[in-house]
Amino acid sequence: MTLPPPREVLAGEKVLRINWLPGSDRLRGLCHCGAEAEGEDPIEMWEWLLAHPDHPAGGPTVTPSPDVLPPPPAHRVSDPSIIRTRTPVLV
Amino acid sequence: MTSIVQNQWYVAAYGREIGRELFSRTICGESILFWRTEAGQVTAMSDRCVHRRFPLSEKPSHLNGDTVVCGYHGFTYGADGVCVAVPGQKRVPRTARLKSYPVVEQDSFVWVFIGDPDEAESTRIPRAPWLDQEGWTVVSGMEPLKARASLLIDNLMDLSHETYLHGGYIGTPEVAETPITTEVDEDAGIVYVSRHMADAECPPFYSTSTGIQGRITRWQDIEYTPPCLYKLHSRIAPVGVLPNEDGTDPDAFHVEVVYAITPETENSTHDFWAVARDFALDDESVSDFLRENNRTVVLQDVTALDVLEQVLTGEPDGYQELSINIDTGGLAARRLIAAMAAEGAGTTVEQPAAATAP
Repeated sequence: MTLPPPREVLAGEKVLRINWLPGSDRLRGLCHCGAEAEGEDPIEMWEWLLAHPDHPAGGPTVTPSPDVLPPPPAHRVSDPSIIRTRTPVLV
Repeated sequence: MTSIVQNQWYVAAYGREIGRELFSRTICGESILFWRTEAGQVTAMSDRCVHRRFPLSEKPSHLNGDTVVCGYHGFTYGADGVCVAVPGQKRVPRTARLKSYPVVEQDSFVWVFIGDPDEAESTRIPRAPWLDQEGWTVVSGMEPLKARASLLIDNLMDLSHETYLHGGYIGTPEVAETPITTEVDEDAGIVYVSRHMADAECPPFYSTSTGIQGRITRWQDIEYTPPCLYKLHSRIAPVGVLPNEDGTDPDAFHVEVVYAITPETENSTHDFWAVARDFALDDESVSDFLRENNRTVVLQDVTALDVLEQVLTGEPDGYQELSINIDTGGLAARRLIAAMAAEGAGTTVEQPAAATAP
């Protein structure tokens, strides 16, 4: 399946772009200043773009994965009436 | 601190819902009374009498011309929320006025401003012109969601879930398989996510409504203007059929799927949905099909998100999640909303793209 090159739709002067490169798992970030970088993690890529004008050299940080991953966290259940009062974490 | 973004316009109702009957809906935690004046203007004011807090939407409260009369003790308010009569005395206390809300009727929606009313005029109301425009036919509805608005935003910003949650309706394998492009204009407050499928299976939602047999070129272009209005520009055409170079596109079918995501409370949401099409304009059977099918799809989301809300409220703070490429647009939306929330609360976000919870 072939795709046309990514279109640029938004016409503002400070548009940030992330293109998922077809045929791969890679992302390419493009800042309005012309800086570009490739990476594999959308969170890291947004942080790299938002660092404008001080985009870290070498592109987004890649967090090395340990050979042996720790077990996932337990799904503990606590009192909903308390938790409902919390402020949701916006990531 | 509230998670609801202040100083923004939110869709409170469809225009058709507001008439000469008193109508109440909770928007962003505020119980608001709506009614139309005899001249047809929509009014919005607090749904609590200043006297003893009786809801003005409750019978025997009623309209009398362009005033609303409290059914408990008769306090009477004008269309601007100012009390014009109290029982048994001529002097009306100067503080006897209901909180009134800036309100605008546009694109079939009733928009209400939540926050400082002085900010209303300079704050954008995003447009969805197809919902009230010649050349388009619209079906629409609203489903109550027992989940926080951010869960619906996550859902709509990543349409790869169509493949799994909406298979047999709008989901096909190609949706989840096709890479997206994401653009953010922070100044304009827009997140734009494109997924263009060159050669895809045609899901029943589109094969039945358009009559296209065989595979399709399917474009999904999301244009989200946080916090409330979400538009999915959907283009369906036989494989290989593209727009003309001059921008005209006579051989494709266009569907504008519009959502208004309005918090009811911190943990519940009004899920307004509308489907506008530029084909089969007068075909009632197509309208019936799209209305029924889109409502089914919305209810599939509602069922899933209601469960998710229960799960999340039962887990301790800092629950862990994982983001991958399909989440690029959703992450951008979260960041914009966090910045808007901070602005509405008069604070700043130092690291709006902060990493996932610990």
